[in-house]
Amino acid sequence: MDRRQLGALAAALLVGAAPAAWGHQPSPAASPGGRLTTAPSLAVIRPAPDFALPDVAGADVKLSGLRGSIVLLSFIYTSCTAACPLLTQRMAVLQGRLTEARLLPGEVTLLSVTVDPERDSAAVLARYAQAFTASPRGWRFLRSEPDRLGPVLARYDEWTKRLPNGDIDHPARLYLIDRAGRIREIYSLGLFDERQAFLDIQALLREPR
Amino acid sequence: MKRRIAIAAVLVVLVAAGAVFAEVCLSPYVKRLAGPEKFLYISAVDADGRDNDFLAVVDVSLPSPTYGRVVNTLSLGSAGNEPHHMGWSDDRTKIWVGTLLSKKLFIVDVAADPSRPTIVKTIEDISAVTGLHGPHTYYALPGRMLLTFLSSADGNPPGGMAEFTNDGELVRVIKNPADSPYAYDVAVKPDVNRMITSSFTPLRNYRKPLPQWDMKDGGNTLLVWDFKERKVIQTLTTDPVPLEVRWSVRPGKAHGWTNSALGDSIWFFAQGKDGKFATKKVADLGKGCLPADLRQSPDDRYLYVSCFMKSEIQAWDVSTPDRPRLHDTVVAGVSPNMMHVTGDGKRMYVTNSLLSTMDYSEKFWVRLVHIGPDGRLKVDPFFDVDFTKFPSGAARAHDMLLN
Repeated sequence: MDRRQLGALAAALLVGAAPAAWGHQPSPAASPGGRLTTAPSLAVIRPAPDFALPDVAGADVKLSGLRGSIVLLSFIYTSCTAACPLLTQRMAVLQGRLTEARLLPGEVTLLSVTVDPERDSAAVLARYAQAFTASPRGWRFLRSEPDRLGPVLARYDEWTKRLPNGDIDHPARLYLIDRAGRIREIYSLGLFDERQAFLDIQALLREPR
Repeated sequence: MKRRIAIAAVLVVLVAAGAVFAEVCLSPYVKRLAGPEKFLYISAVDADGRDNDFLAVVDVSLPSPTYGRVVNTLSLGSAGNEPHHMGWSDDRTKIWVGTLLSKKLFIVDVAADPSRPTIVKTIEDISAVTGLHGPHTYYALPGRMLLTFLSSADGNPPGGMAEFTNDGELVRVIKNPADSPYAYDVAVKPDVNRMITSSFTPLRNYRKPLPQWDMKDGGNTLLVWDFKERKVIQTLTTDPVPLEVRWSVRPGKAHGWTNSALGDSIWFFAQGKDGKFATKKVADLGKGCLPADLRQSPDDRYLYVSCFMKSEIQAWDVSTPDRPRLHDTVVAGVSPNMMHVTGDGKRMYVTNSLLSTMDYSEKFWVRLVHIGPDGRLKVDPFFDVDFTKFPSGAARAHDMLLN
């Protein structure tokens, strides 16, 4: 079994497990040992660079057009065999929690941008989104040709490097963007905890508009 | 069944991800090396303070014809800065290097050509930006860098921390509390949402020759922070001057160790069932050790201590975390200081300059200690990078990073 098949298997297994994971879980609260907190200190890191990229249906999504809602922005690619499938599964769990809390769609939007437009056609990305039961209105998967995507990736310092085995090396980050379009938290893909991200989003929602 | 599927999926992903080399002394947010190291970067202080300080690049790729040699140097453009510690950005493309006697901070690119680092940004007056002086630990956070500072801008306590974007723009400053004003190291354990900082001495003290130091002008506390809240939640006490903060690398484990420089001891810290942390002294390193650095093996089994004054490196077995047992010792040379253990746990690079005001040897070097499967230490007789013969003369080799 090669790495790509392993990745596909992992994604399939994660997809199978994901609905159970978000089905009937209570919304997270501060944990007794302090592992989760309801009062995160979310400093303004910098303005989120604006962009407009098409989703899998071809409709342009402009980041600044989402002002007024909170955005969680990730950079992924569908044939990734490392952190991406786990991350997307966690985002699926987060989507479930946000949906139960009636925050998605509406108050919160999830965006996943592929860094591999050559292999991730709109159809491939749409299937990936469907596999993770992404809500078409609340969790948008974005893709464009390299000439349009490149400057967006550069503004987020999201360099890419194709490895000999076909994988793509890229910084493993997610961006939490507040209603005013400012980056307020950056998560690591590998250490992303969707329970704390939910609490971070709630903290931003408590801020005055 | 669903749970089993999820576990299977995680295992598949981990297998697919392949082996990575986890240098446990680094922030967990730093990208891991995908293979053995090829280059060793060393912060170097011109020994007599007359020539420019620099970053040295040593070839550590075993098959290379220039293995074990300095293959390049990057001048920092001026003398007398005391470049000290360094840190990787989270994506391992840039190295941050700060100075303890001047106010400069350099961001160095090593992605374009790992053998030829280049300065991409210099902050000339970090004190004007932060209100703090003496950046010490560079701890990568996702897309950001967290720095500890030993002093306020005037060289006195309190020290503190400052957070920057990866391109060097200030995000926020957090000063140490008035009742625990000394600062030094920081380490985060993300899975338990705790951060611990330690305490050294400020510029007003460390800029003087060692015999003139006020040994009471230093900290004896560890601060426990709620990492996400960036809030101090507990102050712990140790012997004087606890330096490195090393969390257990095991997921979910909320314990670790620190080395008390003036107590010649290792202290254990751990979270109890009530959520509160406590400390206790767990190892006596021998009088006059002055433990300058503390490192870990990737399997969480050993701690390595450099006894700067006793010229000895000690390996402590921490299979029982609160009962370390002396496992081995080795002499790599006079005044061993910084150590850097490779991700596979098989090699440890060692330097021997601590601070220009504290060094007592004039023979500066970088050496290599092999760590056997049994945890025994052996100095490599062939790897000996002489730091006394640069065109500018001798240079004090201090911190190291691998690429």
